[in-house]
Amino acid sequence: MIRALFSAASGMNAQQTNVENIANNIANANTAGFKARRAQFQDLLYQNLIQPGAAATQQTTVPTGLQLGLGTRAVSNEIIFTQGDFSETDNPLDLVIQGNGFFQVQTPSGQIAYTKAGTFHLNQTGQVVDPNGNLLDPPITVPQNALSLTIGSDGTVSYTLPGQAAAQQAGQIQLANFANPSGLNSLGQSLFQQTEASGAPIIGPPGGQDGLGTLMQGYVEQSNVSIVQEFVNLIVSQRAYEANSKVVKAADDMYQQVNNLKQ
Amino acid sequence: MDQISVLAAAGMQARMQSLDLVANNLANSSTGGFKTDGEFYTLFTSEAAGEDASGPSSVPMIQRQWTDFTQGLLEPTNNPLDFGLSGKGFFVVQGPSGPLYTRNGNFRFTTGGALVTSEGYPLLQQGGQPFHANTAQPLAVSREGEITQNGGSLGHVEIANFENPAGLTKYGANYFSNTTGQDPVEATGTEIYQGKIETSNVSASHGAVRIVGLSRQFEMMQKAITLSNDMSKQAIEQVAKV
Repeated sequence: MIRALFSAASGMNAQQTNVENIANNIANANTAGFKARRAQFQDLLYQNLIQPGAAATQQTTVPTGLQLGLGTRAVSNEIIFTQGDFSETDNPLDLVIQGNGFFQVQTPSGQIAYTKAGTFHLNQTGQVVDPNGNLLDPPITVPQNALSLTIGSDGTVSYTLPGQAAAQQAGQIQLANFANPSGLNSLGQSLFQQTEASGAPIIGPPGGQDGLGTLMQGYVEQSNVSIVQEFVNLIVSQRAYEANSKVVKAADDMYQQVNNLKQ
Repeated sequence: MDQISVLAAAGMQARMQSLDLVANNLANSSTGGFKTDGEFYTLFTSEAAGEDASGPSSVPMIQRQWTDFTQGLLEPTNNPLDFGLSGKGFFVVQGPSGPLYTRNGNFRFTTGGALVTSEGYPLLQQGGQPFHANTAQPLAVSREGEITQNGGSLGHVEIANFENPAGLTKYGANYFSNTTGQDPVEATGTEIYQGKIETSNVSASHGAVRIVGLSRQFEMMQKAITLSNDMSKQAIEQVAKV
């Protein structure tokens, strides 16, 4: 009976986690390069009151046992790395990765972080930085007087200077990929950090042999959150929460009646 | 104790266990690949019942639970490493102490390229070996369970079925273990859908109806005990009045 109360409570907890996850997805529906997360649940341990396969008599065994489950728990919310929609911005430093891979940026602490949001800018010294001012890694510098900036699908950055016909190369953008991108750690600000689970980064030029995607200049990758999907999940989650709260009520009523037996 | 109280108390005890089952079902209504539990009621009959016909000597109890293995809905997730099973059978994974069976087809890569569950148990292919894939390349799964990458085959996903799936024990964490010693057989006609995951087959409406039924039955038996108490009280206080 206490089992029913705790199972229902674990169900309510799990649905609360689900709603929190959905809320974060919806809140980031307009965040460039955001990847939705999906909560995963598992059943907990079972109490074996009668073990299946136990001997019922000398000759026979119990074909199915009596197992009472103890509820559920949220086990993970994995990142869904599907491609988001592309929207045209005409900003020469807005980049989209078509396929696998992450841009590498250097955080103030000197560590490398990874991002799908390719909205870059130039800082006061002409270096390519992300919206938080983190330097693109490997660093690329564009002179202040550069006229046009072109980034090829293989990540080659070139520019023209006034009075010069030939384009100058500023460098090549390198992408990183992971064996298990779902194992990356979200740092916030659209940045990810490598973990033991994700494995070491596989670094290479866009479109190369390492299975990395190609770059497209002048576009931004939108969030891959599907609002319709999230709302459907929200409704399901809310109803599941309600059903679990009814179990709590039913168990409470039963207890009350047991207590009323003694007059 | 008198017969009515014993019978009703046993019935109340059993309804409490039923509510435990319903609570676990509803708590797992969002657990991928979860299968609903139900229960069988039976009468516990004492050995003396045949000889002594003076009154009821059997009480209700829950004999065993059964698992409803009907298909859950296949929900699209767009995750290429989510495999949904359509039809009978289970994925076979290498657990810490022997194979475990699951219908929750949410897999991921290890850094070495093996396909594993969220606990890190590797998915097995036919022949009992784990898969080894190149994690940088996209991976395709056919309906028949063949995993291909760059046009090359990595092997077939093992889908095990059981003559008597009711004999499987729930292991927790969406796994079943085979405790009755029956040999798994190859599932036939079961299809794998990539990018989809099987949802829990718990019906919230069925659970709600069960709760109402259990609550009312419980209440009736509580009333029966109260009534029986009243009768005993009357018998003691009124009949024996001198």
